[in-house]
Amino acid sequence: MPRAVILGGARTPFVKAGTSFAELDVLDLARSATAEALARTEVDPRDVDEVVFGNVARPVAYHNLAREVVLSLSMPARIPAYTVSLACASACLAITSAADHVMTRNAEVVVAGGSESLTNVPLTLTPRLARSLIAASQAKSLPAKARSFAEVRASDIAPVAPGIRETSTGLTMGESAERMAAINGIEREEQDAWALRSHQLAAAGWEDGRLAAEVGPVYVDSTAVITDGHIRRDSTREKLATLPPVFDRAHGTITAGNASPLTDGAAAVVIASEQRARQLGLAPLAVIRSYAYAAVDPADQLLIAPAYAIPLALQRAGLTLDDIDVFEMHEAFAAQVLSTIRVMEQNGAGTIPLAKLNVMGGSIALGHPFGATGARLVLTLAHEMKRRGARYGVASACAAGGNGAAIVLESIAA
Amino acid sequence: MIAERAAPTSPAETPSARFVPADGTGIARIVIDRPDDAVNSVDVRLLDDLMHAIAAARSARPRGLVIASGKADQFMAGADLSLLRGASQQDAERASRRMQEVLEELAALPFTTVAAINGPALGGGFELALACDRRVMADTPNARVGLTEVRLGLIPAAGGTQRLVRLIGLPRALDLILGARQLTPKRALRAGVVDEVVHPAVLLRATGEVALTGGKASARGGRTAIERAITWLAPLRAVALSQARKRTLAETRGFYPAPLRAIDAVAAGLSRGMAAGLEEESRAFGELATSQTGRNLTSLLVRTLRQRRAAFEGLGAARPVGRVGVVGLGFMGSGIAQSAAVAGMTVRARDRDAAAVAKGISSIRKLTTEAARKGAIERREATRVTGRVSGGPDLAGFRHADLVIEAVFEEIGAKRAVISELEAVLRADAVIASNTSALPIGEIARGARHPERIVGMHFFSPVHKMPLIEVVRPAGADPDAVATAVATAVAFGKTPIVVGDGPGFYTTRVLSTMIADAFALVGEGVAIEAIDRAMTEFGWPVGPLQLVDEVGLEVAAHAGETIAKARRMDGPGIVASLADEGFRGKARGGGFYLYEGRKRTANPRVYAILGVTPRATTGGIAGRLTTTFVREAQRCLEEGILRSADEGDLGAVLGLGFPPFLGGPFTYARERGIS
Repeated sequence: MPRAVILGGARTPFVKAGTSFAELDVLDLARSATAEALARTEVDPRDVDEVVFGNVARPVAYHNLAREVVLSLSMPARIPAYTVSLACASACLAITSAADHVMTRNAEVVVAGGSESLTNVPLTLTPRLARSLIAASQAKSLPAKARSFAEVRASDIAPVAPGIRETSTGLTMGESAERMAAINGIEREEQDAWALRSHQLAAAGWEDGRLAAEVGPVYVDSTAVITDGHIRRDSTREKLATLPPVFDRAHGTITAGNASPLTDGAAAVVIASEQRARQLGLAPLAVIRSYAYAAVDPADQLLIAPAYAIPLALQRAGLTLDDIDVFEMHEAFAAQVLSTIRVMEQNGAGTIPLAKLNVMGGSIALGHPFGATGARLVLTLAHEMKRRGARYGVASACAAGGNGAAIVLESIAA
Repeated sequence: MIAERAAPTSPAETPSARFVPADGTGIARIVIDRPDDAVNSVDVRLLDDLMHAIAAARSARPRGLVIASGKADQFMAGADLSLLRGASQQDAERASRRMQEVLEELAALPFTTVAAINGPALGGGFELALACDRRVMADTPNARVGLTEVRLGLIPAAGGTQRLVRLIGLPRALDLILGARQLTPKRALRAGVVDEVVHPAVLLRATGEVALTGGKASARGGRTAIERAITWLAPLRAVALSQARKRTLAETRGFYPAPLRAIDAVAAGLSRGMAAGLEEESRAFGELATSQTGRNLTSLLVRTLRQRRAAFEGLGAARPVGRVGVVGLGFMGSGIAQSAAVAGMTVRARDRDAAAVAKGISSIRKLTTEAARKGAIERREATRVTGRVSGGPDLAGFRHADLVIEAVFEEIGAKRAVISELEAVLRADAVIASNTSALPIGEIARGARHPERIVGMHFFSPVHKMPLIEVVRPAGADPDAVATAVATAVAFGKTPIVVGDGPGFYTTRVLSTMIADAFALVGEGVAIEAIDRAMTEFGWPVGPLQLVDEVGLEVAAHAGETIAKARRMDGPGIVASLADEGFRGKARGGGFYLYEGRKRTANPRVYAILGVTPRATTGGIAGRLTTTFVREAQRCLEEGILRSADEGDLGAVLGLGFPPFLGGPFTYARERGIS
């Protein structure tokens, strides 16, 4: 079976929703990341067999975002493309689908990525108003059209933002994270310390150029956006401690400071069979060694699934936690990261050494464009493994619905 | 609209136009398809065959008739221009009458006729469509309709000036004829010159249905009451016509008689009837086609079209160019990148930092949005065009470039540095083109590992508007690399000329030489305004001293010095002195003129520096400067910088604004006996 390798990639800067990228939509961002990934890997678009993109809050106009990426970049029109969704692990799914296609010889070179514009989320109408509008459009006479609106209430006039509550539990993501913090005994101070660490490491990653190396500029009007927008270089424990809890105002521990922010951005990697990479004269960064998806009951600990996905992926690779040199874990909340570590310990899956975890910060400091985060994790991990001469690395992401993903990378020399 | 019989009607027995009897639906067709040419252009035989086909249709009495083209992507062009060469005034007039007769026959058919416009229908081709009762146009990217004759110094002379006015009214018809406008399907529909726009796959079915239901045409004379009033009410019409004449005179400055004659033909037809209008059309056509201006303009168009193939003579095989790298995304670089993207190429650009790239990409977006607004490209295509351009502060993404065009500033060290960077990343067969107006390519390429793949592509400013690219072939250049640059120029929709290497190549050299002579005139005490006025009155678009102010004094000085040094002459001292004093051009402190709002006055420092008192004589100035230009062009031909006089004419007219009605420096020299 051919090995699937990561040739490289690029991401856009990740910026706060409603700021620099406010006028770009999810396609603009996806296109930017893809063009940059192809340029940096020096992969000729004529050699690409497939494009896969992950995306969560999808505008109705893009039935298949990935295909629009191909067409809007004038990549060869014969390239099939598809869009996948696994909530915040969507780009992980894009990457593992690409790897599957490469390993089963159904493709040789695949662009896999993710994109999200949380500025431009599609708003919908209340079901009652939507039903009435459709009934009215089908009604034959004017009185019948008018009658269609009989059931509409004043409260139905406001549009509805896409769901942030779990359908099965009715809890928001933050409320679910509060429960995880409580169950695992993660204190507010620990969470704030984790958030501070995330900002400090991310700032260091930018200062020494490691993060800059994976970020390509996005051109808006006549300016270039070149850096991430969330990182707080002036953050302190004291400042973080002053922030009020958001989800449980009375007893809560989760604040805007120790949770990941709403973000616009995109990321893409290029995956190829090892042989094709050699043939094209391209030097891979890492091999995709194994992966696993796991899921838990959302009513229990909504974001804990990586604690199960990571051991499973390691088992599939024939490795143990001790073999791993670098970890990239999505930081939806500091509480979720710390819970994952704790639950893995409790389950006897081993202890993730903190010195090897999110060494350039994570989603709390860098931001979290839902559909793109998985590709950012894998891209950062692959680059960092190469820099460190590391042999194995793990990327993991939790997702709404109780899902979790883990991907094991191996250095190419092995 | 043709002049003389071309080759004998053999070899082909197949006619250029044939009648296809009615099918089950009762619709007959006339299919126009010249067997001896890839293009349906009008010649004697085509008209004879069309006349026969119309006669056959008349006796067959179908329910309706569709006029279609047998060519896959063209309806019909105008007259075969090569036939006009050597024709007498009577020949040309007779040819116009003949085509008028044929189209009158078509218009007089007692059943509905519909033109199936499947591609370009320009000039005579559109006059044929206008003689039909209805027109249905296919929505294809290359389909255009328009009466473009005035661009050639001619007028529509097969009833075009008569029928278009009757169809859409005087105001809009004049606008289309005098502007020689070419309309895309969408705009043609909006202008009311076609009845429907349909997908090419349903063109035949749609024309058949329109032929059954459309009915005969009536002369509406416009869509609105105002348009109809201006068209049909003599006093209102007189005002509109006199305004049009005044505007046209101001725009053509009296050099181009054709638009005025078109107005005359329109006026005659509306006041004295169609027959009088047609007579005026033919008379004007005969006179214009054989006038010096008409001959020069048609000859330029014929040579421009031919150049797209002729430019490849003596070169190698062009390599396909799908991906273009552009280094330097300033004013020129962004224009170049935009042209490449419009041509369907993928562009990767580099400038010194992301902020510079952002500015370039923003101006590419602006150019493209503007092109879409003007209808030059379709709106959705405009989004794809900008999607083809990406870039950054390094050479990432250049490895697969087929051609890299560098457009960094005019300094040999900067250009050499770019080339050595490029050589480190490019594929061995990639071509490097340097955009420079004066620096010898051989010197830029000195020290390169593969100098043979380095050529010059001298773009003119602004790139999206200027139709010329001067491709520079240095000694030892790979003929395939030169051919690749020429093919790229053609793909950009530009006319390439291929010139030898040397300071200023051809265009900058002749222009600088003329400008140097203008400086000499100032030194002799001729007033600055007098020189510029003499030149614009002669037909140049802008006077030489005004031009120096427009391009900037430092740029002009640099070009002038580059050329002067190479020819061991003195540089343009006055320009350097002015620049030293802070006069760096228009909007940069002034130059030969001082600017105040819209007003300009001659800069007294010029006279002071030169120690002269200005005189306002204009006599002989334009003749002298134009002759200087022409002589330098002739030297370029003698020295082998130019391959041919044709390329010299095209380069001067398309790149430097040499008055087109004079046909170019070599044509001018031949007529005036300058050698």
